[in-house]
Amino acid sequence: MASNRKKAFAAVAALASASVVLAGCGSSGGSGSNGGSSSTAKASKGGTLTYYIRDALEHTDPQRVYLGRDLSNLNRTVYRRLVSFPASTDPTKATTPVPDLATTTGTSSQGGKVWSFTIKNGVKWQDGKPITCEDFKYGASRVFATDVITGGPNYLLSYLNIPTGKDGLPTYKGPYQKKNNDVASFNKAITCKGQTITYHFKQPWPDFPLAVASLSMMDPYRKDKDQGDKSNYQIFSDGPYEVQGKVDPDKGYTLVRNPNYDPKTDNPAIREANPDKIVYNIGKTGEQITDQLIADSGTDQMAVTDRSIPPSYYTQIVGDVAKRAVNVQSPFVDYLVLNFARMKNPAIRQALNVATDDQGWIDAGGGSKAYDPADSIVNPTVKGYQPNPAFKRPSSGDVAQAKQILAKAGVKTPVNLTFTYESTPTADKQAAALKNTWDKAGFNVTLDGVANSSTYYTNIQQPDQKSDIIWAGWGADWPSAITVTAPLFDSRPNLRSNTNGQDYGRYQSNAFNKLITQAQNASNLADQTKALQKADIQLGKDVAYIPLEIQKFYLLRGSKVTGYMTDAASSMYPDLGPIGVQ
Amino acid sequence: MSFVSPGSTREEQAELSPERELVVDASAKVAGRSPTQLALARFRRDKLSMVAFVIVAIYVIGAILAPILVKVGVIDPYTPHQNLLDPALGSIPKHNWGISWHHPLGVEPGLGRDVLSRLWYGITFSLLIALAATIVSMVIGTVLGIISGFSRGIVDTLISRLVDLTLSFPQTLMLLALSATGVAMFAKILPGNGASAAPNAVYEILVLGLFGWPAMARLIRGQVLTIREREFIDAARVLGASHGRIYFKEILPNLWAPVLVQFTLVMPLYISAEAALSYLGVGIHPPTPTLGNVLTDSINYSIGDFFFFLFPALLIAIVVLSFNLLGDGLRDALDPKGER
Repeated sequence: MASNRKKAFAAVAALASASVVLAGCGSSGGSGSNGGSSSTAKASKGGTLTYYIRDALEHTDPQRVYLGRDLSNLNRTVYRRLVSFPASTDPTKATTPVPDLATTTGTSSQGGKVWSFTIKNGVKWQDGKPITCEDFKYGASRVFATDVITGGPNYLLSYLNIPTGKDGLPTYKGPYQKKNNDVASFNKAITCKGQTITYHFKQPWPDFPLAVASLSMMDPYRKDKDQGDKSNYQIFSDGPYEVQGKVDPDKGYTLVRNPNYDPKTDNPAIREANPDKIVYNIGKTGEQITDQLIADSGTDQMAVTDRSIPPSYYTQIVGDVAKRAVNVQSPFVDYLVLNFARMKNPAIRQALNVATDDQGWIDAGGGSKAYDPADSIVNPTVKGYQPNPAFKRPSSGDVAQAKQILAKAGVKTPVNLTFTYESTPTADKQAAALKNTWDKAGFNVTLDGVANSSTYYTNIQQPDQKSDIIWAGWGADWPSAITVTAPLFDSRPNLRSNTNGQDYGRYQSNAFNKLITQAQNASNLADQTKALQKADIQLGKDVAYIPLEIQKFYLLRGSKVTGYMTDAASSMYPDLGPIGVQ
Repeated sequence: MSFVSPGSTREEQAELSPERELVVDASAKVAGRSPTQLALARFRRDKLSMVAFVIVAIYVIGAILAPILVKVGVIDPYTPHQNLLDPALGSIPKHNWGISWHHPLGVEPGLGRDVLSRLWYGITFSLLIALAATIVSMVIGTVLGIISGFSRGIVDTLISRLVDLTLSFPQTLMLLALSATGVAMFAKILPGNGASAAPNAVYEILVLGLFGWPAMARLIRGQVLTIREREFIDAARVLGASHGRIYFKEILPNLWAPVLVQFTLVMPLYISAEAALSYLGVGIHPPTPTLGNVLTDSINYSIGDFFFFLFPALLIAIVVLSFNLLGDGLRDALDPKGER
C-alpha cells in the first residue's frame, strides 16, 4: 500500500490560472483528536540512528519532494525552512508554525495577498556561506521550471502574481530558460530588500505560513549548486546534518554532522539533532523490516521505520514488543471515486453509496489497528473537517435500502460495474468484501485490480478509462481542507482533453466550483472554512466520492531509541526532531 | 540360471528367468494378450502407482464436481464471514482458525471465506489451466517432433534449432515482463470488460504451452527416428501415402505411450507453475480461487501461524506428487525395458 501515500503528478498542462492546483501526495496532518504518541525516555546525544525505508527515493531536491515522510525527515535534518512546525504531541502546537530561518512567522498585508519574512543573521549553508534572501528567491523560481523540476507541489504557479500565458501557465518559465522569459514579472512578485523577502500573490493566501512549514517548495536553493534535473538527489544542507558521500536513491544514504550548523540560530523544538549519524537503509520489504525490529538485535535496537506492521504480524506484537509499537491515525484518507462519465444516474450512485460495506473493507485490510472509519474525505485532523451527512449509514452497508433506491428509480438490475483499485493480496480481499454487499444490492461488480503501482494514478487519470468505481487515497498538503476537496474535485484546473488531473471521476459541478472560488478568495480562514464545508456537503449530495477509512500507522522501533514521537508535524511518521539513541 | 524362490509369482519367475518362460507358458493356459493388456496388468500390480492413480482420479472428479456444487450452494468460495474474525488482531479468525462444522478447514484471515470451498474450487481452475497448457505444449511438441524426426535435412535442422532457441529463452522472465501487454492484448480480443479472469488465464495457458513444447518435441523426434526405419513406413511410402498420412496415421499411433507418460509428467509441472505465477502476481485475478491464489493469500499469515499455509501447500504437494508417481508408473508399465 505504499502508493497510498503517493499521488502521481499530473501533467503540467492541466494547470489553470486562478485556483489551487495539482496537489500531490499528502504531507502534514493537523490538529485533532489524535495528537500522536511519544516514548518517555529522554533523548541523549550521540550514536547512530537507522531509518528503514522500503521503496526507492524519488527525489531529495527540496522543490521536488512531495512525500510526507521525506518532507518531514529532510526538514528535521538538512533543509531548514522560513518557518517550521515544532515537534509536539499536542496537535495544535504541532501544526502552528514557529520561526526557523526567519525571525518571525511572517507578516501579511493586503488581506493576505502579500507576505514578508526577514531571514535570521548567522544562518549558513554547509560550506559556511550565509543564507541570503536571493537563495530563497532562487529556490522559489525553480518551481516555475515545470519541464525540469517535476514531482513537487506547484501551488506557487497559481498563487504568485505572475501573468498567465496562452498555455495556461505563468509567463515566467523558471531560471533555466533564457529566451522568452518573463523574468521582470517574477522579480516583481518576489522582492528582496536586504534580508527581507516579500511574496506578492494574485489572491489571498491566509494560511501561507502553514504551506511554507508543510512543504519544502519555498526552501532556499544555492544557484551555484543547481544542475537542474541532475540535482534531483543532491542534498546541499543548511541543517544540522550533511550527506556523507552521495545519496543512492535505491540503497539509502548516511547523514553526519554539519560543522557549519549553529544550533543557536535554531529552535530545539524543531530539531534537537541528537544522533551523531543517521543512516537511511532502503530496499527491505515491510515484512523484513518488521522481522528485524521484532528481533531487536544489534543496530536494529537503534532503528525506526515508516512502514506499518503488516496485519499478519499483529499477533506477534505483544509483551515487550508491544511497548515498542505505536498505533496512530495518519493524515491519509482512502476513498472511492465514482466515474461521472459512466454513472450518470444519481440513484445508482446513491444506492452504491448506501450499499458500501466500509467495515468489511476495514476488517479485510487488517481491522481496527490498520484503519479508522471515515465519514468525510477531509481528515478529522484538518481544519474544516465536519462529518458529511451523506455518509451517515450503517458501516456495513444497507443492502435493503440500496435495493429500494434502485427499485424506486426504476433501474434495471443487475447494474454492471467495474471497480479499479491497486492490487495487493490484502487489497484484493478488501475489494472482495465491497463486492459482496454491492452484488447483493443489485450490482454486478467486476474487480479490476491493477498490479503495477507505479502507473496506477497515471491510469486512472485517463479520460477514457472504463472503470466505474475508482479507489484513491489522499492527505492534505497543509492542515486546511482547501488542499483536499479543491484539488480533487474542482473540474476547472483538473479536466483536460488528455487527462482527468486528480478529478479521476470527471466530476463537474458549477455549484461546487463556485464554493471553491469563494473559499479561495476568502481573506480569512473562518470564511474559507465555511465555504469549504458547504462544498463538501455538495460533494456528498452528488456522491462524488465515498470515504472508506482513515489509514492508521502501526510503527515499531528499536529498544534503544529515545525521544520517539510520531506527531502531526511529521505527518504521523517518526519525528526526527526530538529523536535520539542510547 | 537363477534360483527362484517358491513364493514368487508366475510373472516374476517369467521375468527373472526367461529360459523358464517356455515351461511356464506351456503349463499355463495360453492366452493372447495385447501390449495394452500387458501394460495394464503391470500397472495394476504397481501399488504405489495405483494409489497415485486413485488420488489423481479423486482430484479430477472433485474438479469436475466443484462448479456444480458451487451452483447448488454446497460449497461457497466467495461469501465473507467476517463475524468469525477478530479485527483487533489483524482480522485473523477468532477461535481455532475458524474451524467448525460449516468450515471444516477453517476460514481465511481478512475476509473469512471458507478455506475448503476455496481450495476445492481452486483445484478446478488450477487443473483446467494446467490441462489446457499441457495440451497446447503436447500438440505443438508432438507435431513438430514427428515432422522433425521423419524429415531429414533442412527441416529437421530448422526445427531442432528452434527447439534449442526456445529452450534457451528465459521463459519465466518473459512471462513476467510481457504479462501487462499480453494480458491487455487478450483482454481486447476476448469478450467481457477486460477485468475478468479470462485474459489472464489465456495468457498463462499460451505462454506456458508455447514455452513447454521443446522437451516433448525432442522426445518424440527420438522415437520417430527409429519408427521411420521400420518396414510399415517403407510400405506406406511405396504405396504413395502422403506425408500427412504417414505422420498422423502411421507414426502417431505408435507414439501414444510416450505421449501419455509425458502428459502425466508435464501436468504437475504446470500445476506448480500456476502456483508460482500466482505468487508473482501474473496468475488469475482474485477473487477467482486457484490453488496458487489461495496459497499466496496464506503465505503472509503463515509467519504468525503455519496452519493457514498448511492445507493449500499440502493439496498442491499431493497432486503434484501423485501425477509424478502416476507418470513414473505408466512409464514402467508401458516400457518394461526402460530404466527406472
